[in-house]
Amino acid sequence: MATTSLPGRGLGRALLDRTERWYDRLDEYGLVPGLAHVVALVFVVWTVFPVYWMVSGSLRTRRELLATPPQWLSTALTLENYSELFVQRPAFYEYLLNSVVITIGSTALAVLFGTAATYGFVKYEYPYDLGRFHLPFLVLATRFLPPIVTVIPLYVIFDNVGLLNTQLGLTLAYAAFNIPFVVWMLKGFFAELPDCIIEAAVLDGHTEIGAFFKIVLPMVRPGLLAATIFTIINAWNELLFAVILTSNTRAQTLPVALATFKTAYTIQWELLTVAGTIAMAPVLAFAFLVREKLLRGFTMGAVQ
Amino acid sequence: MAQRHVSDAMADRAEDILLWLEDNLRWFLTLPALGLLAAFFLYPIGRAVALSAYQFDGTGREFVGIDNYVAILTQGAFWDSLWVTAKFMIVAVSLEVLLGIGIAFVLNSRVRFRGLVQTIGLVPLVISPTVVALLWQLLYRNGGVLDSLVQPITGGPVPWLSSPSIALWAIVIPDVWQMTPLVTLIVLAGLQSVPDHVREAAMMDGAGRVRRLLDVTLPYIRELVVLVVILRVIGTMRVFAKVFVLTRGGPAGSTDVVSMALYREAFRYGNYGRASTMALLLLAIALLITYTFAKVSEVKF
Repeated sequence: MATTSLPGRGLGRALLDRTERWYDRLDEYGLVPGLAHVVALVFVVWTVFPVYWMVSGSLRTRRELLATPPQWLSTALTLENYSELFVQRPAFYEYLLNSVVITIGSTALAVLFGTAATYGFVKYEYPYDLGRFHLPFLVLATRFLPPIVTVIPLYVIFDNVGLLNTQLGLTLAYAAFNIPFVVWMLKGFFAELPDCIIEAAVLDGHTEIGAFFKIVLPMVRPGLLAATIFTIINAWNELLFAVILTSNTRAQTLPVALATFKTAYTIQWELLTVAGTIAMAPVLAFAFLVREKLLRGFTMGAVQ
Repeated sequence: MAQRHVSDAMADRAEDILLWLEDNLRWFLTLPALGLLAAFFLYPIGRAVALSAYQFDGTGREFVGIDNYVAILTQGAFWDSLWVTAKFMIVAVSLEVLLGIGIAFVLNSRVRFRGLVQTIGLVPLVISPTVVALLWQLLYRNGGVLDSLVQPITGGPVPWLSSPSIALWAIVIPDVWQMTPLVTLIVLAGLQSVPDHVREAAMMDGAGRVRRLLDVTLPYIRELVVLVVILRVIGTMRVFAKVFVLTRGGPAGSTDVVSMALYREAFRYGNYGRASTMALLLLAIALLITYTFAKVSEVKF
């Protein structure tokens, strides 16, 4: 581990000393933990407020939502906006359904193919170092591509093969996009499994495939769960491909419906808050249910 | 085995097939994923290269060689959108990384409820960028929450999204809101992996608090910081949903990031050749930036 060289004398040294003295003085008066808690509190309020504002807005009357000055707390909550959304925008059901179908389909494909490929890369020998290095590197490299680069030719290709405006088209595209995530998250898990476990299982009379399902998969379950949830969230949230590859309710997803909500001359704020809340609800529920796994997922690949 | 009632020949045959499957298992495992990736990454990039040599119009397309490249590089429009993207990137990434690291250090020190704060940090990360844009659209509403907060200072409503000098920063803020927690979570995980004995050894050597931070802790998490910077540089380079929802590139092109300009070129003007050319130039820039970062910092992927 290389260490950075720091100014050991002169101005740099003096600044360091001064910072340190300030810090010690604050500490003396017992202010350091206090300051830290203030920062934490500001962070929490800043993060939660926009979400609170939209969710609570969806439960208010239009008049209360648009009141100036704003009413920070609502006095009367109502579910009226929710029923109003489905009356005024009947297509909302279809967007919702499309999102659900495409998310489930693409997650299943991405996790299945991604898991199989990762296992293949990690546990088998390939000629020319393909499995150890080149192919996984290629898979990971796709994560660094700006997606707009592929979506324009994809539009042309989809147009030729009749995949525009289909759930299948988006399902396949999202699956392809999430495979690198799955590989990235599972690589470590499979690498940690000792080879002898599989060898022992094969000696016990399992086939290689049987050993994989009965012994290997259960051991990487935490990673599998994290990868699955990541994929679900990615697919549920995606906008760019959905906007470009769909143009009607046959396959348009929730984010597209939301992004085009304000094409009307006036924004119906109370409906917008409802639609936004419905789009947030599942991912927030997931985040709270599996926050440990998700935290690990967000940080694991980076820390390894 | 339980297959005594199956004829020996069939059992042999089944076994042959199974053996063949097992011999080639490694390919069956990897080929579906590789096939999908090839179809959705490699082939489209190849098509983009081909498309970039054509000029599209209402009736058809015409082969123009490298004319698209020449036109884009000599006219100002592409450079303008690159400049908008660069401004967005530099400001957003700096804010996210500095704030994120700062908050991580604070949380790592002596905050109770750290777990709670970490969970709260996940909230913006899992929300769709589209919804994030809508959240802020609601806050930016004329006479809305933010206006009533800044009223004492500015004396009136602020044209958050309709002023060319403000609009870009009104998109930076939601990005900072959403992505600072990512930096915080990753750096925090890194900080918690700094072994105590390293810090203790530095303390024995007489290193003060600030000195320990700069000389011991920071070098320890250096690779993580580089990784986070790369992730955010790439992330801001592809920003689309927030711009699409909040401004569509306006007003007066002040938020016209590359992906927005590309989207318009292809899907408003129908010029896939020109758009593909811009996309490939963007790809080249993205690769160059990633490669440079990785090289300079000697980070291995």
